[in-house]
Amino acid sequence: METYQIYSLTSAILFIIGIGGIFMARHFIKKIIATVIMGGGVFLSFVSFAQRDAITFADPVPHALVITGIVVAVASAALALALARRIYQLTGEETFTNDK
Amino acid sequence: MSILIDILLAIIMVYLAIQCLLTPRLIQSVFLFFAFGLGLALAWVRLGAIDVAITEAAIAAGFLGVLFLDALKSFAPKVSVKQDNLEDIYKLPRRNIKSLILPRVILVLGLALFLFIALEAVWMIPDGGGLTASAEALLPQSGVEHPVTAVLLNFRAYDTWLEIGVILLGLLGVFVAGGIKLYKKPGASKPDPMLRQVILFVTPVLFLFGAFLLYIGKTGPGGAFQAAVLWGAIGILLHLGGKPIFAMIPRWLFHLILTMGLGFFLVLGFLLIADGRTLFEYPPAYAGLLILIIETLGAISIAAALTAIYANLNQMEEETNEVEPTT
Repeated sequence: METYQIYSLTSAILFIIGIGGIFMARHFIKKIIATVIMGGGVFLSFVSFAQRDAITFADPVPHALVITGIVVAVASAALALALARRIYQLTGEETFTNDK
Repeated sequence: MSILIDILLAIIMVYLAIQCLLTPRLIQSVFLFFAFGLGLALAWVRLGAIDVAITEAAIAAGFLGVLFLDALKSFAPKVSVKQDNLEDIYKLPRRNIKSLILPRVILVLGLALFLFIALEAVWMIPDGGGLTASAEALLPQSGVEHPVTAVLLNFRAYDTWLEIGVILLGLLGVFVAGGIKLYKKPGASKPDPMLRQVILFVTPVLFLFGAFLLYIGKTGPGGAFQAAVLWGAIGILLHLGGKPIFAMIPRWLFHLILTMGLGFFLVLGFLLIADGRTLFEYPPAYAGLLILIIETLGAISIAAALTAIYANLNQMEEETNEVEPTT
């Protein structure tokens, strides 16, 4: 078993954990963390296949895409966090509820 | 032997991710998220992606973790305020728990099926050969020696340009969500001698280390984003120390700093088109110099945007204190 195979299998597991977290977690912050974990799984699969396609160095295109992707994921998580804090500030809710 | 390290690391990451989402307390969740980010960074070192590891450790674990910690400050103390409603809070899930069992079983089954499909898909991914060979062939024309920097700032400069734009959009979104009150100077905040010493000591180190990462990106792992986070950390530290940097400089200078990375990229792209080339097709003779300028301006812009995102999120909480939770 190659190194990259371990990480590509892990990436699938992390992705599923993230999806599960988005449904199961109740608090906004946990939901946002779940999306970040899900993104981490996607990035891990990219980088593991970059390692598989290595010749003299690992494939640089997925590396560059992942660096871009991490920064974009952080920007969107920051926006989500701002919205969550605003919702909490206006309504006092910290979860999505259907009760109202 | 080395395969054992990878297996161990994979188990640790999966454990941390699950634990991070299952733990009941938010603060544990956030710290486990820090640990998860650093574990992921180690995984990237194992996969030979040092650039990605630095970015992950700095932005995804460090900066985002700080944002989460900052958010806890406004979410956490409210529990004691809401003590009257505490019974309602605990009654609601208990009343609904029976109706929730079926959806949860279905969700778990669906996730298990999806996990199986995802593992299968990842296992069976066809060997396409990747783009390593073409990147290596064009590397001498790119103006830099490190392949990842060449892809980021030359071959796929589009991505990087639009990424700076996305960060600016994120900042705009945070502005919109957070209200207009920006960067007011905090009133007489009590001076903290320890924090002051830390700032005095750490700021030059961060600045130099950021500049080093920026310059070394030409030949090795490092580059604009990694440098930007270190410089953004300076801004965050200064903000924490009661010196919000954007309250001290004029508004137009702040806007100029925020947009100059994106703007320089755009102007350069149009000039290249006017010169009869395609967008971001640098002349090979000047490519190295152009990339260095773009990286420097981009790093300053991103650092300013990260600082502004933090500062704005941090000040949202001040207004929150007065708002009573309505139920």
